[in-house]
Amino acid sequence: MLKVKKEKREKVIGVLLLWLALMSACSRTAPPSETVETRQITDDLSRQIDVPQHVTRAISLAPSITESIFAAGAGDRLVGVTTYCNYPAETAAIEKVGDTQTPNIERIIALKPDMVFVSTASQLEAFTQTLAEQKIAVFVSNAISLDGAVAGIRKFGEIFETSAKANATTAEIERRANALNDLLKDQTKVRVFVQISKEPLFTIGKTSFLTEAIEHAGGISVTKEVESAYPKLSKETALALNPDAIIMSDSEDNRGPNDVFKNSSAVKNGRVYKINADIISRPGPRLVDAMEQIAGFLHGEKN
Amino acid sequence: MKKRIAFTLLLVVALAVAVAAGLMIGAERISIFALTEQQRAILFDIRMPRVFLGACVGASLAVAGASLQALLRNPLAEPYLLGVSNGAALGTMLAFVFFESFGFARPVLAFAGAGIATFTVYQMARSRAGMNVERLVLSGVIVTTFLSSIIVLLTSVLDAARLRGFTFWLLGDLSQATYQGFYLTLAASVVGTIILTSQARGLNLMMIGERDALDFGVEVGRVRLIVFGVASLLVGTAVAASGSVGYVGLIVPHLIRLAVGSDNRLVVPFSAIAGGIFVVLADTVSRTAIAPRELPVGAITALIGAPVFIYLLRRK
Repeated sequence: MLKVKKEKREKVIGVLLLWLALMSACSRTAPPSETVETRQITDDLSRQIDVPQHVTRAISLAPSITESIFAAGAGDRLVGVTTYCNYPAETAAIEKVGDTQTPNIERIIALKPDMVFVSTASQLEAFTQTLAEQKIAVFVSNAISLDGAVAGIRKFGEIFETSAKANATTAEIERRANALNDLLKDQTKVRVFVQISKEPLFTIGKTSFLTEAIEHAGGISVTKEVESAYPKLSKETALALNPDAIIMSDSEDNRGPNDVFKNSSAVKNGRVYKINADIISRPGPRLVDAMEQIAGFLHGEKN
Repeated sequence: MKKRIAFTLLLVVALAVAVAAGLMIGAERISIFALTEQQRAILFDIRMPRVFLGACVGASLAVAGASLQALLRNPLAEPYLLGVSNGAALGTMLAFVFFESFGFARPVLAFAGAGIATFTVYQMARSRAGMNVERLVLSGVIVTTFLSSIIVLLTSVLDAARLRGFTFWLLGDLSQATYQGFYLTLAASVVGTIILTSQARGLNLMMIGERDALDFGVEVGRVRLIVFGVASLLVGTAVAASGSVGYVGLIVPHLIRLAVGSDNRLVVPFSAIAGGIFVVLADTVSRTAIAPRELPVGAITALIGAPVFIYLLRRK
C-alpha cells in the first residue's frame, strides 16, 4: 500500500519536473524584449509600475475607467474595452475583450496593449499577475469617491500625456461639484434610501461611493451606518427607517420600491426617483451628473 | 403509546416556542404588548409571514426527505443532495424568465423540475444489482452539478441584472415571504404530510425489501409513484417560495429516528413538526446574526447539516 503511494508520488514529481523544464525552455526561447523608454507611475494601490514613455495602446477592464480615460482626452488610445463599456458612444467601435469579471486574456494579449487598466471592484488579482508576466503594465484603479474619480482622470492625463484636456475636464467637474455644494449648503438634508434591487432587498452601505455622493447632493443615506458596500438589508429595518425619499437605479430587477415602503413618507409623498443605473454605478466622470440629478430630485422645487 | 403522546406534545410545544421566539426576535426590536403602528407593520406584514413560511418550508423538506429515505432505503437521500431542489430551482428560474406575469407558474414549474430531477436520479441509481447507497448519492451529485451548471449558464447568458437576486435566492432566502406564498406552502405541506403518512405502512414493509412488501400486498409501484410525486410537490412549493434550503430533509428525519425508531407512521408526521422548528430557528439566526444585514438561511442549515451528513456517511 505504502509502496504504491510512493510510486505515485514519484510519478507526480516527475511530471512536475518535466513541466518545469518545459516552462524554463519556453521562457529561454522568448525573444529578448526590445528596449523601450519607460517611466514610473504609481497606481491607486501604491504599486510602482513601469509604463512606456508614450502609451498608444491601452485596454480598460471597467466601464468607469473607460469613461475616465475618454474624459482625460485619451479615448482614441483605447484598443479594447469590456462589453459593459457603453459610454461615450465611441466605445461601440472599440473591440470588446469580454465583461468586467471574465475578460478574455487571449484577446487582450493579442491586442498587444502597452497598458491594461483594471478596477479593484472587479477582483482580478490573479489576472493582473498573468498580464505582468506578459510584460504588460497593469494599472489598478481604486476610485471610490468623486475625489478619487477626479484624481483618476488627472492620472490618466499624465499617463497618456493629455494633461491639458484632463485638467480642463476635472476643473469643470470640480466647478460643478462646488456649485452644488454652495447651492445646497443651507438646505436640510433629505433622508434617502437607495434601492439597488427590489427582491431581495439590496441597498448601499457604509463603504459605497454613493453614500458620499448622496451627501454631496443634499441628502443623507439612511443606511450609511450599515457595514459593507452593498448589503442585503433586513426588511424590518428598511420599514423602520421610513425614508423621506427613495432613489432607485433603473435596472430591470428594480421596478418600483419594495412593498415594505408602501407606508413610508417617501412613497406617500410621491418622492420615489429613478436614475440611470450606469451613472450611479460608475465612480467616473459622470458621478457629478448623478449628484446633480439627485440634488434635483431632493431639492429641485427650491432650485 | 404514552411515550408517543408525550413526544408529540413535546414537539408541538417546541414548535410553538420556536415560532413565538421567531416572532419576538428580529432585526428591529419590538415589544409585542405595546405596538406602534410601524411595529405592527413589521410584525404582521414582514415577520409573521416569514416565520410561518419558514415553518411550512421546513415541514415540507423534512417530510420529503423522510419519505425518500424510506422509499430508497437510504438514510442519505435528501432533496437538496439528490438534485431535487436544484430541479425545482431551475423550474422556478425558467418561470421567472418566461412567465413572470403568471403568479402560479413558479410553483408549477418548480414542481415539474423537482419531478423530472427525482425521476432522473432514480433511473440513474437503479442497476441490475439493485440500488446501493453510493450509486444513489453519486447520481444525485451528477444531477445536482448538471442542473447547477445550467443555472449558471442561464444567469450568464440572460441579462445579468435581472437574475442578480437569484444567486442569493439559490442559497435559500425566506426574505421574500408573502402570505400568498405561505398559504400555498401550508396547503402543500399539510396535504403532502397526510398523503405520505397514509403510505407509511407500505413504506415500512418496503424498507425490508420490495419483494417482501409485494408478498404483503403492498402495491410497490403505486407507493413509489405517490412518494416521488408528493415529495416533488413538497420540494417544488418549498423551493418556489424560498430557494434551496439544504440539509433539512437529512438532519430532521435522522434525529426523529433516533428518538422514536424507524416506523414511518411516526417518522413522517414527526419530521414535519421538527422540520418546521429547525427552519424557523435557523432563519431566526439568519435574520439577526449580522442585523441589519441578512444571511441566507441555506448557509445556516448547511453549516449544521454537512457535519451530520459526514457522520451518517461514516457510520454506514
